[in-house]
Amino acid sequence: MSEAGTAHRAGRWLDRSGLGLLSPALLVLLAVFVAPLLFLVPTSLHPYVPGQGIGTSWTLSNYTDILGDPFYLRIIGRTLMLGLIVVAATLVIGYPLAYFLARTRSRLRPWLIILVVFPLLLNLVVRSFGWIVLLANRGLINDWLIRMELIETPIKLLFNFTGLLIGLSHIFLPFMVLVLIGTIQNIPRDLENAALTLGASRREVFAKVTLPLSLPGILSGGILVFVLTISALVTPRLLGGPTYQVMSTLIFDEFLKILNWPRGAAMAFILTAIVLVLVWASSRLTAYLATRR
Amino acid sequence: MTERPPLSHRLSRSLSGAALPLYAALALLFLQVPVVIVVAASVTTTSYLTVPPVGFSLEWYWDVLGDESYIEAILFSLMLACTATVLSLVLGTAAAYALIRRKVPGSEAISAALMAPLVFPAVVVAVALLQYYTLVGVRGTFAAIAVAHVLITLPYVMRSVLASLAGSDPALEEAARTLGADAWTAFAKTTLPLIRPGLVAGAIFSFIVSFDNVPVSIFLVSVRQTTLPVKIFTAVEHGIDPGIAAISTMLIIATGLSLIIAERWVGFHRFA
Repeated sequence: MSEAGTAHRAGRWLDRSGLGLLSPALLVLLAVFVAPLLFLVPTSLHPYVPGQGIGTSWTLSNYTDILGDPFYLRIIGRTLMLGLIVVAATLVIGYPLAYFLARTRSRLRPWLIILVVFPLLLNLVVRSFGWIVLLANRGLINDWLIRMELIETPIKLLFNFTGLLIGLSHIFLPFMVLVLIGTIQNIPRDLENAALTLGASRREVFAKVTLPLSLPGILSGGILVFVLTISALVTPRLLGGPTYQVMSTLIFDEFLKILNWPRGAAMAFILTAIVLVLVWASSRLTAYLATRR
Repeated sequence: MTERPPLSHRLSRSLSGAALPLYAALALLFLQVPVVIVVAASVTTTSYLTVPPVGFSLEWYWDVLGDESYIEAILFSLMLACTATVLSLVLGTAAAYALIRRKVPGSEAISAALMAPLVFPAVVVAVALLQYYTLVGVRGTFAAIAVAHVLITLPYVMRSVLASLAGSDPALEEAARTLGADAWTAFAKTTLPLIRPGLVAGAIFSFIVSFDNVPVSIFLVSVRQTTLPVKIFTAVEHGIDPGIAAISTMLIIATGLSLIIAERWVGFHRFA
């Protein structure tokens, strides 16, 4: 058997199995995703020596320090709480909007959907900047409220929970709305009409037909927004400033300002673990809901 | 003769009929608030931000456009987004084609792996890359940032091309092969025109994702060469002025234009 023949057959195998075509993308994945993450694992297991950098001995202290320190636990708790409340806010604002957009027969519908997608595609920094202009101590909202003599001194709307809640709800609302539109569109109108014909009130139709059937969308939209919120860096940084921290801004500071990479790496893996568990649970739940139908 | 329902009843019913559209309108308005504020603030004649603007002037635009560092950042971002998009399109289309048209062993695991960069928090991917690039010694180079951008735009291209490919008929390409065309010609003349909308949508999405990215770029850029969004981010952190509103408005207009182009070329439904 000639060498050329073997090479030829190997080439055919690469083509048939599709691995030849896949290899460039997989190579990128391996080189700038898998490898960097694997290299970050030992970093999180080494001690940080101030003035020198990363030590050589092995330790779990980066993890135990974070999980045993009230300062870090408060930031983790705040991040998760923010996620929950942003999910609730986007659901309350987004559900009626999604219902309207899913059911309307208006000719304007495509343009109304553009109004949902446009902010989504707009640069995050620009959107956060808009909120800073509005919410700052000498910003427009405080300015207007003082001019209308409703308040005397500015209310603090920035660099605290309120600011992050408003900014993040705004930024992730389009995701929730788009997921919900998809789900609500799949609920047959006839079901709602049948319930109405049979004498149910609009409220009952909503509570007993529409809402239960849109539950899968609420769940996947909710988990999506939660994961995006706890992973967000830019908006929490700009609206929370250097003092009001969440997990991702803490990682940012450990890597770029404090230079305690081991602790930053441990924090990064704790955040990743939370996100991955949620994404995994959500896919299991979706599969379960699909089989139950 | 039919009796009309009492006025209070009619009123409450028409009110409840109007409640949903009204609520939807308010929610849509809420979504546009920061956009409107930024655009309005950019034309003020004052040196501080105020809405409604005082007077009307474009001086802040000339100010920004006369600033060399902004021009450099815009050019750097454009170059980065173009490079990442072209590479992502080539790599993503090849990978998507293999996943749909070939019997790939473990194809589900592979496509999940290729989507993984979308699931991981961007800040985690970014710090991992920061350390890795520092170790390898390529931190701050254009190629290193571009490859990182390929990683984060690849899932968008894949998703959009996979959807298009799933709807195209493989028999056309087989027929072309039977008639004597080589593999590339057969693909280019049958499948490629069919999946063009998916490619265009993927390219637009990829370009926007790369151009707008902050969480990954901010860890990888050097002090000398920075992207436009990172530059605006740093500027906002230092203090806000109408100049930032002006450059932001230019970005808003550019995003709006690309949305219109996307709508014209491939239909809007692909984005929703």
